[in-house]
This record gives sequence, structure tokens and C-alpha cells, in this order.
Amino acid sequence: MKLDANIPAGPIEKKWDSHKFNLKLVNPSNRRKYDILVVGSGLAGASAAASLGELGYNVKVFTLHDSPRRAHSIAAQGGINAAKNYPNDGDSVWRLFHDTVKGGDYRAREANVYRLAQISGSIIDHCAAIGVPFAREYGGLLANRSFGGAQLSRTFYARGQTGQQLLLGAYSAMMRQVAAGTVTVMPRREMMDIVVKGGRARGITVRNLVTGDIESHSGHAVLLCTGGYANVFYLSTNAASCNVSAAWAAYKRGAGFANPCFTQIHPTCIPRSGEHQSKLTLMSESLRNDGRVWVPKAKGDKRPPNEIPDEERDYFLERRYPAFGNLVPRDIASRAAKTVVDAGCGVGPSGQSVYLDFRDSIKRKGADKIKEEYGNLFDMYYQITDENGYKAPMRIYPAPHYTMGGLWVDYNLMTTIPGLFALGEANFSDHGANRLGASALMQGLADGFFIAPATVPGYLGATKFDAATTLDKEFTDSARESQDRLGRLLSIKGRKTPSELHRQLGNVMWHDVGMGRTEATLKKALKKIPEIREEFWKDLCLTGADRDMNQALEKALKVADFLEFSELFVRDALERKESCGGHFREESCTAEGEARRDDAHFSHASVWEYQGEGKEAALHKEPLAFEHIKMAERSYK
Amino acid sequence: MDITFIKRLITTSIGRKAVMAVSGLLLGGFMLVHLAENLLLFRGEAAFNGWVELLLSNPVTPLLEIALLFIFLAHIVTGVWVRIEDFMNAPRGYEARKWQGGRTIGSATMLYTAAAILAYLVYHLLTFRFVDHSMGFYQMVTGAFRAPLFVAIYIAGAAALALHLSHGMQSAFQTLGVNHPKYTPFIKIGGMLVAVSMLGFALISVYFLLNIDLKTAEAGYQVVVIR
Amino acid sequence: MKKNKHFTVTVRVWRQDGPREPGKMVSYRVKDVSPDMSFLEMLDVLNDELMKKGEHAIAFESDCREGICGSCGLVVNGNVHGPDEHSTVCQLHMRRFRDGDVITVEPWRVKTFPVLKDLVVDRSALDRVMTAGGFVSVNTGAAPDANATPVEKDRAEEAMDAAACIGCGACVAACPNGSAMLFTGAKISQLALLPQGAPERRLRALNMVAAMDKEGFGNCTNEYECEAVCPKDVKVANIARMNREFLLANLLSKR
Repeated sequence: MKLDANIPAGPIEKKWDSHKFNLKLVNPSNRRKYDILVVGSGLAGASAAASLGELGYNVKVFTLHDSPRRAHSIAAQGGINAAKNYPNDGDSVWRLFHDTVKGGDYRAREANVYRLAQISGSIIDHCAAIGVPFAREYGGLLANRSFGGAQLSRTFYARGQTGQQLLLGAYSAMMRQVAAGTVTVMPRREMMDIVVKGGRARGITVRNLVTGDIESHSGHAVLLCTGGYANVFYLSTNAASCNVSAAWAAYKRGAGFANPCFTQIHPTCIPRSGEHQSKLTLMSESLRNDGRVWVPKAKGDKRPPNEIPDEERDYFLERRYPAFGNLVPRDIASRAAKTVVDAGCGVGPSGQSVYLDFRDSIKRKGADKIKEEYGNLFDMYYQITDENGYKAPMRIYPAPHYTMGGLWVDYNLMTTIPGLFALGEANFSDHGANRLGASALMQGLADGFFIAPATVPGYLGATKFDAATTLDKEFTDSARESQDRLGRLLSIKGRKTPSELHRQLGNVMWHDVGMGRTEATLKKALKKIPEIREEFWKDLCLTGADRDMNQALEKALKVADFLEFSELFVRDALERKESCGGHFREESCTAEGEARRDDAHFSHASVWEYQGEGKEAALHKEPLAFEHIKMAERSYK
Repeated sequence: MDITFIKRLITTSIGRKAVMAVSGLLLGGFMLVHLAENLLLFRGEAAFNGWVELLLSNPVTPLLEIALLFIFLAHIVTGVWVRIEDFMNAPRGYEARKWQGGRTIGSATMLYTAAAILAYLVYHLLTFRFVDHSMGFYQMVTGAFRAPLFVAIYIAGAAALALHLSHGMQSAFQTLGVNHPKYTPFIKIGGMLVAVSMLGFALISVYFLLNIDLKTAEAGYQVVVIR
Repeated sequence: MKKNKHFTVTVRVWRQDGPREPGKMVSYRVKDVSPDMSFLEMLDVLNDELMKKGEHAIAFESDCREGICGSCGLVVNGNVHGPDEHSTVCQLHMRRFRDGDVITVEPWRVKTFPVLKDLVVDRSALDRVMTAGGFVSVNTGAAPDANATPVEKDRAEEAMDAAACIGCGACVAACPNGSAMLFTGAKISQLALLPQGAPERRLRALNMVAAMDKEGFGNCTNEYECEAVCPKDVKVANIARMNREFLLANLLSKR
């Protein structure tokens, strides 16, 4: 596998402009002859489909939902970053670039991150223009707020529903192209396979989730906008249908998978309540702007929180990180919570949570103001826990939330399979080893609205395509293999449901490969995962048919892929013997327990190449050079 | 000449409802005028008959009557149309659907009160409009109000009208797009007042029913009760 | 501390094999229900049990399970999205029920949302209404600076209130007439309130209402059941604004 990031030459400020100039163009009258297949309709997918449709390409969008508007981008709450410097507090493209690289613990590609910061302003302009109702000041201009990992306010927001509003904006832009005839939406289709012909991605195999039929679709380029794989932990803040399957299918067809172990554990989630739990609910980290995080100083203090006086409380984030306080980046906040809980100071029935207290800000700003800013989050907390966050502190605990790892892409967002692109959370992205709050929406829309619509045509214009139809052997083979897989799953007829096996995998991942990882726990996981996988293929319980709507079968397909992927995840974690960002190897930390990077050995992206069924994946390294930002210990003290 | 904009009043859901709302508001206005006229009954025979004669001698009155007929027809036709359409599209087969707080007695019974009002209207026209008026209008009306059965039907008609308007008045404003957090509460109260005022018709009839009885009793005459 | 006593309920669920198959209510007992479980988690547990007995799992939709994606939608004991006010059914928790309760679970039952299987319905009609005009016709790359167009704060908030719609279809399911006017009105409102949407507000109102009618949604009789069940508390003032936008567009536009 050859890893060429294709980073354009020249000064970093000019790279993107000169690259766009050098990319081939496609004549407007020829564009409709190109078919582009977009898999996934979240921020990245919908915005890419809309923009490519506007340019005149023939776009087909596939979503496993009943409507493209349901993609999980919709659940992002807090906001979207942009280097607009509207609040006049010293922001700039350069500073957003710097914060993102630093926040990612120096494990992202400089040129990509700079481009992201450069584009960030245009995203806000475009989204405002297509009717996204951003929060505003009384003067009518856009409001900003601060967010974890930044010492200034650069986050644009729409109440606690920024992801929803941006997704609906991108969705509406895409539906406009549906009306214009350039985009066709294929709902309730799950991607089963990528079809590679002549060394290029030329199509996909999908399953119609209503009829169960296997369908083939051919095209000139395939864009995977299929999100992240945090559900490998079973319990995460992701939606039930979030999966690794599309990316995993691409990996098996030859796309490199980068940094799978880089996952983000979000600090402000509602703690779990029991075995039955199907998901964890995140509350926007904007809560940390006004909420203070604490635990009792004494171990096992069972008094109600309001009866614990201030001097007996440990405001551990403020204590350990006085400069950033409660606004430290997510990985640091999460680990700090784990540390106090592991030390026995956790609260709640299970002791697996910490307090998030609004007492002081309610006193300072008034309950009405707090209600105005966070009302929906307090309501949500009440609905789930039956507890009133205004009267007593909320309880929170970290939960898997976002995955920085993903399909390796070059500067054009193209994977190692020519013609196969990966956008948004699905690629290994610009966030390095840790993503800053409010940067996921920024990246998804940058990829979809601005980058892919330049680089995909660049690829199309520069490529001579052979004819490809869905009758070709590559397509029919892929369809047959997909069909066989369904048959195999349905023929097991064992005793364990897909959810039970998924939960088993999740337990291993959370306990052994979660917030703190050691060589021993990782090796333990490497032993346990193949056992669960074996159990899955021997003892899976499924009912229903393949040629029918069958949600359990859909779930089983996802779990099957997680069971293979998780092993790669663990191997990657084992291989990276340093702590960086969301990846914390307990062997690699400072005396104070802070993460310690090993730049001499691990300043690279780890890219894994599939070697065939049952064979160990091959590791390739893309070295990361930092020419513009000085690598330093990431300190928020 | 493009008549699409007129066609849309018939062919679109909102257009039909707008016709229904405008005609409904006009009819509501007509009923208020009608009520004011009936209040003249209290001023005595001369005042009431004088007003009616004046009205009948005005050449515009027949035209207004025709206009009123068309407004009625527009309201009925669009109303029935919307109802048929809604019936076709209504959810089917819920085992246990509960109303969750939007519906009122008035809104849920619009179709029934509409039918009752139409039936009453026919009766009303047959008893007051298309009859011999030679005895004088005041005598005709107060004479009718001496019959309890007639008064009972009259009260039922007024009650149906009040219930119909309790939903209809504010609904018409909503349909025509008049909804504002500051003013809608006033519109709702105003609509309710108009609806309640329709009970005024009933009160007038009861007044005459009882009043005449009292007078006749005072005068020592044998009370004649029409059964 | 709260009591966490587990209990048993009976659920009566609508089972239907396909769009053209007849359906019926089937009763199941679910034991060991925790009050902290969500209603859908209770159905998950039931489904696992059914599969172990060799029966088909109950098909129902849900995804984010935090009340924002709009996938879920059930009528629980006659209540659209369950008995809690302004919430989706995925946010309903079993602490709302007692031991021995019989819970009736039905899909949205409107002609415009045909049942695909069990509790899953096809709501694509709403997407088609959006396609008719629920957008601002601005191409990527053409936008002026975001602060070039100030928007009155109250107006922006009102637009956001309308934009909060999650497209779950509860308004249609709850409407005595199966009308989609709250859904359509919310989008027309959002974009009519913002200066960015103003240039094509007239065309949008005409087109979206026409599309809504074409799909066969019922008419609005202003009973406001939609508002009562809307998980995001979208107000019927948006329907009034749509009516206004439509009637004015009809009178004043050149079309």
C-alpha cells in the first residue's frame, strides 16, 4: 500500500487555493454524465450531494433511514466552530488551526487542518444563507459562545440543537437538488459492499431494508459519509444504527484504515442505570460553561449533594487545571472523572458518576437565564433520570462519543482505493487523537460543502473511465457474496441475540480498551474478542427472513463487522505505546498522571491494510511533520 | 386572463378554508346584526315593526338577501367539502386514541352543530320568512314565542349556533392567518363573546314566553297554554 | 431514594407482516421491567425474548433515542408519542407504568403513512413536501458574509421555534383529519421569518401547499391536537402564518 497524502507544495496559506487551481475541471455539459454515489446523508453526505448536484453531477444518495433527515449529525447539540473573530477576542484562521492541532495532540495532518480552519468561515456564511436559524444578539448579528478546549468564543449555535439545524439545512439544500433532478435519494438502503473494478471504486452493493432485495449501483465515484464507529463499545452516545460496516467493507476491499484506536470519550453524559440500557445520552458540553464538576472529598460520602459543604467538595477540574478549569478538552475532563471515580469518590447508586452543579451560576445569573440557555438539557435530564437539575446537581459520567480514527484519506479525501472518497467522521480526519468540541460539524460540512465538490471533479476530470455496468462480474459477485452472508447469518439458529453478543463485546471494549488502556488489558481483549466472534458465528439467534424487513438481521450484520473491526482497534491501541489525546496508555504518563506522548516513535498515522480473511493486517505509517506548529506537551493547567 | 388565483380558492386546501372562514365571519356578523334587531322587540311593537318596514322598503334589501344566500351556500359547500375530505383522510383504526388537549366540545361537534343550524334555519325560514306577515311582524314573533315547543326549538337552535361559533370564530381568524401572541387571546375571548351572545336569542324568546304569562296572570285572564 | 422495584406488564402490539397484509393486535407479557427502562428498551427486551422463542421480532423504528432524530413514533394507550407532554416515545420511561398494566401499542394510522411492517410506517410523503420548496435557493459558495444580513433576535428565535420540528409525523397521526399543516407550516414559517428565505417565500408557500395537498393529507380544522402532541412544541401559529403566506402569495404574486 502506497500512502501518498498528495499535500500540495507551497506555503500552507496558499496550498488549498493553488491545489484548487491545479485540479482538473469538468465541462458543465459533461457533468451530468458522471454518476456519483454518496453513502450516508448526514452533514457530510447531504452537503456533498447538494453541492455536487448544484454543479450538475448526477448524484445518488443512499441512507439506511426512512428519510435523509434522520442521520445522527442531527443529535449534535453544542455548536460549530469558525474562525470569524466576530467577538473580537483574538481569533484567526491561524489560531483555530493551532488550537485544532494542539487539541488533537499533534496527531493530525497540518495541511488538512489549516484548510479546515480556512474554510470554517464560509460554512457559517453558507449555512446562514440557506436559512439555518443561528442564535443572534439583539443587534441582529450572530452570537458566539465558548467551548471546551478554547480560550475564546468561536462557537456558533442554534440553541442546543445546532447539529439538527445544520443537518436540516444541508438536507434542504439536497432536497432542492432532488427537485432539480440532479440528486436521487434512495432511502432505507444499507450498504453491503464496495465494488472495485479495474482498480477503481465503481459501485456499491446495497440491501433494500424494506424488501430485503440486494441491489447493485454503478457510478464513477463513491463517497462514504457513513459516520463513526463508537457503537463498538455497545453503549455510546451514538444512534442505534451507527456502525462501522461501510468503512469495514471498504477496508476489506483495500482501503487503508487509520488510527482505529483514536476514540473520544465525552465527559458530560447521563450515567447508565442498568443492564437493559440501549444507549447513553449526551448532554452538550456547553453545560461546562456554567456547571461546576465535583465529587465529595471523602470516599463513599453518601450524603445528598446539597448537604455537602463547599470545603468538603473536590472541584477536581478547577483544582488540576486552573487555567481552563471546567473547560478543559474532552479527553482530559473524561480521564479526570475516571480518576476520581476509580479512587472511590464517585457518586450515585453505582458510584459511577460525578456531579455537575449549577448552584453557583443559578445564584449568579438567575434560574431564568440558566433555563433559557440550557432548558432543553435540564428537561432531557429530568425525563431520563427523574431528577431535577435545578434543585440538586446533575450526575454525569463519560461515554464513547466520537471516533477520530477512520478510513485513511489523502488531501483530496480519497482513500487508498482510487475513486473511493471518505468524508466527515468516516475518514481519519483532521482531529488527530482528540477532537475539540464543536469541530465535528465544522469538519463534516467543510468536507461536504467545499472540499469534495472540488476534489471529486478533480478526480473525474483526470480519469479515463472504462465502461462499467451492474451486469459486470464484479457487481454480480459482490451481490452474490452479500446474499450469501445473509444466508449464513440466518442459518446459525443459535441462542444468543445480536444485542446480547454486542453487549458482550461492548463490555470488553469499555473495560479493557476504554478510557485507560494497558498492555495487559489490551492483550486480554485480543483474547476475548475472537472468542465472542466465534460464539457469534456458532450461537447467533435470528428469526425472520432475508427477503423482508428484518431489523434483527440488520443488527446482526453490524455486530458481525464490529466483532472483526474491534480486533483491529485493539491491535492499533497495542501498537501505539504512547498516550495521546483520547488514547491513554497508562504506561505512558507523567508523574502527575497526565498523558505523555512519544513523538520520537509515534508521530505518525497508523494505517492498516487488509491482508485477507484470518490474516493479520499490515501496518503502514504516514509520518506527520509539524512545520508550523511547535510540538509541545499539551497543557491546560 | 389568468384566473389561477381564483381557482386556487376552490382547488387548494387552504383556499377552500379561507372561503369557509370569510363566509363564516360574514355570517357571524349577520347574526350579531340580527340579534341587535331582535333586541328592538323590547322597545315595543311600533319600534320593531317600524324597523322591519324600513328594511323592507329599502330597494337594496333583496340584493342583500341574495348575497346572504350565496354566503350561506359558500359556507355550506366549502364546509361540506372540507369535511368530506377530512373524513377521507382521517386516521383509521386506532383502538384507543385519546384526545390530548387540543380538541374542544365546540371543535369536535362542528359537523353536528352545522347540521342542527341548517335544519333550524329551514324551520326558521318556514315559520318566519315564508308565511303570511299580515298580522304584523311584532305579533308574529311574540306570538310564536308564546309556544313553549317553539321556544324550545328556538333555544336549541341558538345553543347549536353558540357552540358552533365557540370554535368557529377564532378558527376563522386562524385560517385567515391572523395569529399573534399579543392579539390572539383577545380574538379568542372576542369569539367566545360572540358565541355566548347567540344565547341572547334564546333569552329573548324565554323573556317573551314568561313575560306574557306574567302579564296575563296579572290581568286576571285565564292562562292559555299552548301545548 | 427512589424505589427500583421491577414489575410485569402486558403489551398489546399491532402486528402486520407487510403493507398489503392484514394486521391484528397481539398480547405479550413482559416480566422484570425496571422503572428506569425506557419504553423502547422494554420492547428491545421483549424482542430478544421473542427471537429466542423462534418468533419474529416486532418491527419498530427508533435511532437516536434522545428525542431528536424523529425516527420513533408509536401510539401508546391512545396517546401519540405516549402520555408525556411534548416528548417523543423514545423518551418515555417505564416508571410511568405500574405492575399489571396493559399497554396498547399501535403505529401511526393515517392513509398517507402506510404501514410497512408491524409498527413501521412510510413517512416519505413528508420528504416530498420538503422537496417542493422547503429550502432557500442559494448555491454553495455564493453566500455573502453571515453578518451582512442582520436578523432581529426575536424573529430568529421564532424561526428557531418553528425549525425545531423533527419530522416525526406525530402531528399527522394525531390530527382528526390526518393533516400535515403543522409540519408544512413550520418549514414555511421558519423560512418566511428569516430574511434569507424571504425572496422566494411566495413561491415556496404556493408550491409546498400544493405538494401537501397532492400527497392527500387532510385539511386543518384548527383543533390543535397537533400542537398538543408535538414533541418539540411547535405552535399552531405556524399554521396561521402558512395560511397568511399562502393567501397573500395567491393574491399578490404573479403566479
